Amino acid sequence: MPKEVRLPQLGQTMEEGTIVTSLVKVGDKVSKGDVLFEIETDKATLEMESPAEGYVRKILIDVGQTVAVGTPVLILGEQNEEISQTYIDSLSGLQTSAASTPAVETPPVPSSSTPAPSTPAQQSSPSPATGTAELPEGSRVISLPQLGQTMEEGTIVTTLIKIGDEVKKGDVLFEIETDKATLEMESPAAGFVKVILVEVGQTLPINTPILILAAKDVEISQACIESIKSGGAAPVIKPTEASAPTTAQSVEAPAERPIPTGGRVFASPRAKMVAAQLGVDLTRISPSPSAVRITEADVRKAAQTGTASTAAAPAKYGPGQRIAINRLQRIVAEKMLLSKQTIPCFYLNIQVDMTELVKIRTKLNKSGDVKISFNDFIIKAVAMGLQHYPIMTGHLDGDYIQLADTIDIGLAISTEQGLVAPIVKDVGTKTLREIAVYCKGLIDRTRADKLSLDDLTGGCITVSNLGGFGIDSFIPIVVPGQTSILGVGRINDVCLPMDGNIMVRKVMNLNLSVDHKVANGADAAQFLDFVKKTLEHTDNFTT
Amino acid sequence: MSLQVEDMRNKAVPKLGSLIKQRTITLDNAKDWLRTIYEIRFFEDKVFELLGQNLIKGASHLYAGQEAVATGACAAIQIGDVIGSTHRGHGHCGAIGNKYAKDDQARQTHWNRMMAELMGRETGYCSGRGGSMHIADVMNGNLGSTGIVGGNIPNAVGAALAEKYKANNAVVVSFFGDGSTNTGAFHESMNMASVLKVPLVAIIENNLYGMSVPFFGSPVEGAGCAANIEHIAQRSAAYGVPARIIDGQDVVAVFLTVREAADYARKNRQMCMIEAKTYRWYGHSRSDPRVYRTKEEEKAWKERDPITVLSKKLLEEQLCTQQELDAVRDKAEATIESATQFGLDSAWPDPADVTKDVYVAESYPDTLVTNEKNASSQAMKATEAFETAVKTLTGQTKKEITEKAKEKIRSEFGMNVLLMKEALIEAQAEEMRRDKNVILEGEDVGIYGGAYGATKGLLQEFGTKRVIDTAISEAAIVGAAVGAALRGLRPIAELMYVDFITISMDQLMHNGAFNRYMFGGHAKVPMVVRTEGGVGRCIAAHHSKSLEPWLVNVPGLYVVMPSTPYDAKGLLKAAIRSDNPVVFIEHKATYGQMGAVPTEEYIIPLGVADIKRPGKDVTIVTYSRQTMFCLAAAKELAEKHGIDAEIIDLRTIKPMDINTVAASVKKTGRLMTVAESFCMCGTGPEIVRRLIEYKFDDGHTGFDYLDAPPVNLAAADVPPPMSEPLENASIPTPDKIVAAVKAMM
Ligand SMILES: Cc1ncc(C[n+]2csc(CCOP(=O)(O)OP(=O)(O)O)c2C)c(N)n1
Ligand SMILES: [Mg+2]
Repeated sequence: MPKEVRLPQLGQTMEEGTIVTSLVKVGDKVSKGDVLFEIETDKATLEMESPAEGYVRKILIDVGQTVAVGTPVLILGEQNEEISQTYIDSLSGLQTSAASTPAVETPPVPSSSTPAPSTPAQQSSPSPATGTAELPEGSRVISLPQLGQTMEEGTIVTTLIKIGDEVKKGDVLFEIETDKATLEMESPAAGFVKVILVEVGQTLPINTPILILAAKDVEISQACIESIKSGGAAPVIKPTEASAPTTAQSVEAPAERPIPTGGRVFASPRAKMVAAQLGVDLTRISPSPSAVRITEADVRKAAQTGTASTAAAPAKYGPGQRIAINRLQRIVAEKMLLSKQTIPCFYLNIQVDMTELVKIRTKLNKSGDVKISFNDFIIKAVAMGLQHYPIMTGHLDGDYIQLADTIDIGLAISTEQGLVAPIVKDVGTKTLREIAVYCKGLIDRTRADKLSLDDLTGGCITVSNLGGFGIDSFIPIVVPGQTSILGVGRINDVCLPMDGNIMVRKVMNLNLSVDHKVANGADAAQFLDFVKKTLEHTDNFTT
Repeated sequence: MSLQVEDMRNKAVPKLGSLIKQRTITLDNAKDWLRTIYEIRFFEDKVFELLGQNLIKGASHLYAGQEAVATGACAAIQIGDVIGSTHRGHGHCGAIGNKYAKDDQARQTHWNRMMAELMGRETGYCSGRGGSMHIADVMNGNLGSTGIVGGNIPNAVGAALAEKYKANNAVVVSFFGDGSTNTGAFHESMNMASVLKVPLVAIIENNLYGMSVPFFGSPVEGAGCAANIEHIAQRSAAYGVPARIIDGQDVVAVFLTVREAADYARKNRQMCMIEAKTYRWYGHSRSDPRVYRTKEEEKAWKERDPITVLSKKLLEEQLCTQQELDAVRDKAEATIESATQFGLDSAWPDPADVTKDVYVAESYPDTLVTNEKNASSQAMKATEAFETAVKTLTGQTKKEITEKAKEKIRSEFGMNVLLMKEALIEAQAEEMRRDKNVILEGEDVGIYGGAYGATKGLLQEFGTKRVIDTAISEAAIVGAAVGAALRGLRPIAELMYVDFITISMDQLMHNGAFNRYMFGGHAKVPMVVRTEGGVGRCIAAHHSKSLEPWLVNVPGLYVVMPSTPYDAKGLLKAAIRSDNPVVFIEHKATYGQMGAVPTEEYIIPLGVADIKRPGKDVTIVTYSRQTMFCLAAAKELAEKHGIDAEIIDLRTIKPMDINTVAASVKKTGRLMTVAESFCMCGTGPEIVRRLIEYKFDDGHTGFDYLDAPPVNLAAADVPPPMSEPLENASIPTPDKIVAAVKAMM
């Protein structure tokens, strides 16, 4: 039986070895311990001894060759044993299997000793192009950002800048049409527009370079432009996530958040903890004289004198103040005006007895791991209603009414910047619990300013709940593109005649505003009644 | 044995046949030697092969060529005797394991566990914690092996001391290389062993080289030279002990001489030396190209392969046939092959167990902990009352006043007022009475009573067997304590100054603290190193440091630093009873400090801090003499500045009672540490780190509860200066503590 001899690791750091001398030839008989080769390693020249006895049948390497540890170097066998090519071929690649131990399996080694070869960093290392093709220092190539989760390419609708313009970070550069919407693309950096690489009307894949910004006097050579156009090696700066443009419905950029006057508040960790416990607003207290940070004592003093409680914070706005409309509010204004101008509505009102639902909700929330809100129940009931009355998912499309493929329901959420109504997708297929989880995520994303374009697209109805603000009943305005909107009031203890008695029940008002272009009173009334009944018969809710 | 160095190579080695006839050995013995030699050889060859395949990683000091030494020596000693091993220890471990193996199955298990250990598997002798250089079955006659050349020798002396003390009639065989005979540890150990007259057989395996350096020159040009004598045995003259030179390739020669030496050591309670001339077949380690020795030399030695030497005797004396010898060889090879398979099939240690077995787990009953808290505050009160009494009582002399005050405390509190050193003496005396395994050794601990008087009277009560004055050999003092502890004693080793611990650090850390872990949790080292430190006597940089940060940086050690006589007594007693190695550091400025100590017996749990003064505004964490400074500062802060400081005396620095610290900071919001050691990576910063990371049950961390940045007061980063004003400037003092606390409020 042939036995392969592999290059052993002759020192802890040895990874490969160079064959300096070969001391055997084919046909030689060797005993265990005989020197076969002299091997040069990273450390020294060492003798490689035969691990076994036998006749040299094949020498697999040449003097001068450098091979990795574990490489088969020689085959020993019986005196005149033929070694087949298949056997030799079978050896390569099996670098760690034991050379002369009987079929020992290499055990898993706890930590890999050979680092994976690093892939060359293509983007970051400039190609050895000629000087002229190189991007001058300080200049940046701006490429088409992905403006929504599903966006693969975009069409340049308008160019809002020209060569030579100075732009600031956040200035709108282009209007871009995506598969979903037309969006503004903001500049991720400041600089002077040097080169515009695209034309209006062009449709480009994301990450295509579209603009070069640089300092005022910098010249960008033609060679460089060509190299960038041809996907060359110039560093392409992608707009960061933070500078992705705000979509029609998205929440305001964080930069517009109110910054507390006086900059960062320095408070000890303990002061912060106590402030949170006592509801004290740290921005409204200052350290004691000559101290550099607010301490627990400062917080407690403020709490005692009631000077800084967060609850008692003054109204955001003062009399006579001129308030800049933020983008979100501008969008709300446009949309609502459009709605009033183009959607002829009628309004339905119904009362729902929520007594049982309140009970079941408390029970579910006691045992379950996800907290289910009233909105989650309402969304579920609305989805069931829409499945029964699909006309309520329609919108006018020329001569047709187009019904929705899936039941997507908007949820109006109030944020610091204003109103957003992201979409709970495909509610029809979701259980109550799944809706609860999804909505929680959606609300978190909204509050964290992390909504994607996809979160904001679609929907056939919106649920808007002002119950939390103590509102009994209100008439909401339909979001353009949707069929109706449900206004939810608070749940209130009400005396109701029931079976000849007067009972105290928990009652909630629902108001439905409906686009009359799509649905008529009878459709909408049945739909709303269905929603009411669904909420009242709690066995409809299997979580 | 005469004191002359006898070169046994000049004498004929008796024939096996005659030894068998005289019933010195049996034929089976001789065949078993051959089997052991073969097993070691196959083991080493296999290890070399597996290293090449990366199936074994790490150290690879192979014993091939030297097998006759370990085999002959282990055969010559008795069950119950002990060996100590080295970095080239597979042969020692292999041979002693064979000696203890009752049958072939046990023998196979032994080799399995050796191979598994080299492969780093859970089934190995040390569960993969030790590997090649620390391979040992410490449960069976092996003290263990060390990676520090020479480091194993002091342990063997201590083990021999223990065997002698226990009157077990056992001897200790210490193996070590030619290279190690040039270390201080060797000299300190040989001297100590010879002076203390312990039953030690020191076997020098002179394989002619310490790594690449020839012991006594080499024909190879450029090769160095480690010593100016050819025969290491000649060094025995320096210790006044007998020595032999033997042929280390002939197992019969080794057996006979070691047997004689062990007899001598047993009977005479004295050490002797054997220098075995031998040779290693492989390089020092696998990456060694062996350029420092010639092929001719290698060839000549290989002709005297211990396998050949013994096989030839068996054949020529017609005691065995070739077939029989082949059978022995095949059996050995099969043993190693299955050991290899066993190792490869064995599980890896669970990474979750990485911290297992650093310490012997120890705990105290809850009642002990609470009762002690009461006792402590009682002692504080009594001490305060004593101090007031001294100030208010009248008398002719100070002594008279003190005596009156002591009497007052005794009658009012039922407590004695003791000097710190008296408390320490009481602790040691009580524990020595309680447990005969407690012994005391160190410089001047006997008739002199300790440099700071902390062992006065112990010699008189316990005698020279238990209170042992040693030569000035700090490495050997600590190393011997380790060895004695490994063999079941509870030694207290006194180091005159903690500054001198720098010399013992190898013994303290690598053997004292690490042995348990390295040997897979099978060893324990219950010893106490008592020492003192700190500034206060204007004795400058070599005698004034506080080195506890060095020590707390050593996994496996406990570090205890008392501040009062009450703490000193209770903590020292607990330290002596602890199964873990404890460094107990007294403060040189406190030996004359007086304090109340309960009359009844008590111990203080290790790892439990003491709130020496409750307060609400700031937490000051301290220990040792600085506790006294902090209490003085707290008094001033309260009286003059209306600041109510809580003083926590850690008492034990490692393990650190961070719970008490955290609970206090939760209350006060402010943390200051005060220590007399250097600040960088020191105890203060460590306390702060632990506090910041501390997790409370309420989900908050220690960080959350801080109302001000923590402050560390520590020694200035200077060698402690001599001059008194400078000395004071170099450490925290009450005035500095007051100022620093005021600044952080
Ligand atoms: C204190 C110390 N210094 C150096 C080393 C590195 N080292 C390991 S083994 C060795 C040679 C020891 O020689 P010797 O005592 O003759 O033993 P041998 O290796 O020949 O068996 C050296 C220098 C070490 N481990 N410890
Ligand atoms: Mg040596």
